[in-house]
Amino acid sequence: MAHQAHAYHMVDPSPWPLTGAIAALLMTSGLAIWFHFHSTTLMTLGLILLLLTMYQWWRDIIREGTFQGHHTPPVQKGLRYGMILFITSEVFFFLGFFWAFYHSSLAPTPELGGCWPPTGITPLDPFEVPLLNTAVLLASGVTVTWAHHSIMEGERKQAIQSLALTILLGLYFTALQAMEYYEAPFTIADGVYGSTFFVATGFHGLHVIIGSSFLAVCLLRQIQYHFTSEHHFGFEAAAWYWHFVDVVWLFLYVSIYWWGS
Amino acid sequence: MYYKVSGVTGKLTGATAASAYNPQGLKPTVPSQAPPMIFAVPTKVVSETGSVSHYMGINKVPELQKIFQKTDGAPVHLKRGVMDKMLYRTTMGLTIGGTLYCLIALYIAAQPRKPQ
Repeated sequence: MAHQAHAYHMVDPSPWPLTGAIAALLMTSGLAIWFHFHSTTLMTLGLILLLLTMYQWWRDIIREGTFQGHHTPPVQKGLRYGMILFITSEVFFFLGFFWAFYHSSLAPTPELGGCWPPTGITPLDPFEVPLLNTAVLLASGVTVTWAHHSIMEGERKQAIQSLALTILLGLYFTALQAMEYYEAPFTIADGVYGSTFFVATGFHGLHVIIGSSFLAVCLLRQIQYHFTSEHHFGFEAAAWYWHFVDVVWLFLYVSIYWWGS
Repeated sequence: MYYKVSGVTGKLTGATAASAYNPQGLKPTVPSQAPPMIFAVPTKVVSETGSVSHYMGINKVPELQKIFQKTDGAPVHLKRGVMDKMLYRTTMGLTIGGTLYCLIALYIAAQPRKPQ
């Protein structure tokens, strides 16, 4: 059926890069329109378009790989490089926020009282919910590894159960963090402590939600027999991303929650 | 020393005693009595056959592979027909409509406000 003399993937023409770019345009202009004219229509339109683009683009990738067989070993190698580069870019993204935190906390200004935590801030006890959160994410790292080995060994039931458990642990973390955010005695507006705390942990929480969603898609695919014991790169990419999220939390916990308290 | 004609080179080559005495290989012993005749087998339920898993649904991937590998010239984002087309048109509609709305909104936003 294939009429190509090489193992690479020449994709069919696709409209999703265009719709994705327009979604970005609508979301950013929509943000500006919301700030100045109090209307959220444009931004909401952008968000809907983004969701439609993501759904159809990734659906097409699954079709091309699992149903059309385009993901040959050299193609898979490219996908691996791609995921590694993306995660590396995310590492640099978080590095910026850690830089900001250390910049302000290593040499606290007189305006803060010359100390860290600044005067008037009651930080969260690192040995209460934050420690539980650490245990939850570490456990989820174990369950996702269990899921990987189950897939490689062809153990369908165990793979489904361990992957589901990983997602539940991710959701548990998110719920605990949401509760912490609600109960916290300080807000994002409370000086540089509030800004660094909520921006760093907030972006981390967003990545936990993204990672949990990626794993959930993998669970659905595993149930539908998409993964074989030799070829399951979608799952591996999700597992890499999940481990990255876990490592970022460990740095957050040690730096902001523990050292910073 | 035993000899045979090599199946690869067509030349005379060495062989083992076993292959020299049984050039077509040893056949498993044919039983002296015929096996019992079976006229009817109890009906086997599909789930008892083979090692095919049915945990949380059956495997529909081969069927989907046939659908997506049809040589109908359709690009992958439209391969499933009507549903794909409807979703594509909705998305494209929002894209074009959204772009126009955005340009108009930005044009209006760029107009100077009247002084009070």
